[in-house]
Amino acid sequence: MSETTVVPAGGTAIADRPIEELVAELPWVTIVWDDPVNLMSYVTHVFQTHFGYDKPKAHRLMMQVHTQGKAVVSSGSKEQMESDVDAMHSYGLWATMEQS
Amino acid sequence: MKAFSRKGSVIRARMSEFERTILASLVQQVAGLLEGDAAAAPSDPFAMWQAEMGAVDLDFDDPVLARLFPAAFADDEQASAEFRRLTAGRQRQERLSNAGRVLDDIENSDEDIVEIDAADCDAWLKTLTSVRLALAVRLGIEVAEDTSELDDLPEDDPRSFVYSVYEWLAYVCESLLGLGGQR
Repeated sequence: MSETTVVPAGGTAIADRPIEELVAELPWVTIVWDDPVNLMSYVTHVFQTHFGYDKPKAHRLMMQVHTQGKAVVSSGSKEQMESDVDAMHSYGLWATMEQS
Repeated sequence: MKAFSRKGSVIRARMSEFERTILASLVQQVAGLLEGDAAAAPSDPFAMWQAEMGAVDLDFDDPVLARLFPAAFADDEQASAEFRRLTAGRQRQERLSNAGRVLDDIENSDEDIVEIDAADCDAWLKTLTSVRLALAVRLGIEVAEDTSELDDLPEDDPRSFVYSVYEWLAYVCESLLGLGGQR
């Protein structure tokens, strides 16, 4: 890098970016909530089928939903989470999305 | 003989005529709810076009439809309504198509044996789940404790039969899931 190049301080560059843009970059999460209808084996099956999680991970997430009332099952862009929530709903699971 | 078995890509489920009649009736009821206004005017080309485009005029104040299409955002009604507007049309088509496959399999049963293509296992599971969710709403099952009350119902309680069907559908789901490797 030549000595004549003027480089703005990194902190300034970040501070100048519009706040909406920063918020938009926060990753989103999909949350599945406990309900008394869906069977434990079925919820595990859905996590395996839709997310491709192996059985231990799918089972652990299902148990978290069951014992703690909810679990974060995936994270990513808003569009990805919309697709995941849509899929969970199609399986009859109660899912919401929010910014983490 | 087990009620459910799998050979290659074919699942065989043993169901009595009584069970098949009840299941078909419940699946038709949920499908009717999903058809909504589209079913009321099938000869109206504009309504058909709207239905094909996925536009949905369903009454989400109906507690069953509210459960089948839950809010996607916990604290944002407007965003949830927008999410429904974008997803409900395709979801409805998929649910109706799944229900149709289940009804076809039931209709084509060879006496008490219902044959299910393993590739349709998820269509069955999703449809059985929709029916169970609908029955749960009608039975007032909102938290886990509600089912212990239903477990103790006297036989002459009108909810007793509905609850026994709800429990039987759970058994059918578990049996399908227990066959393993359906995908």
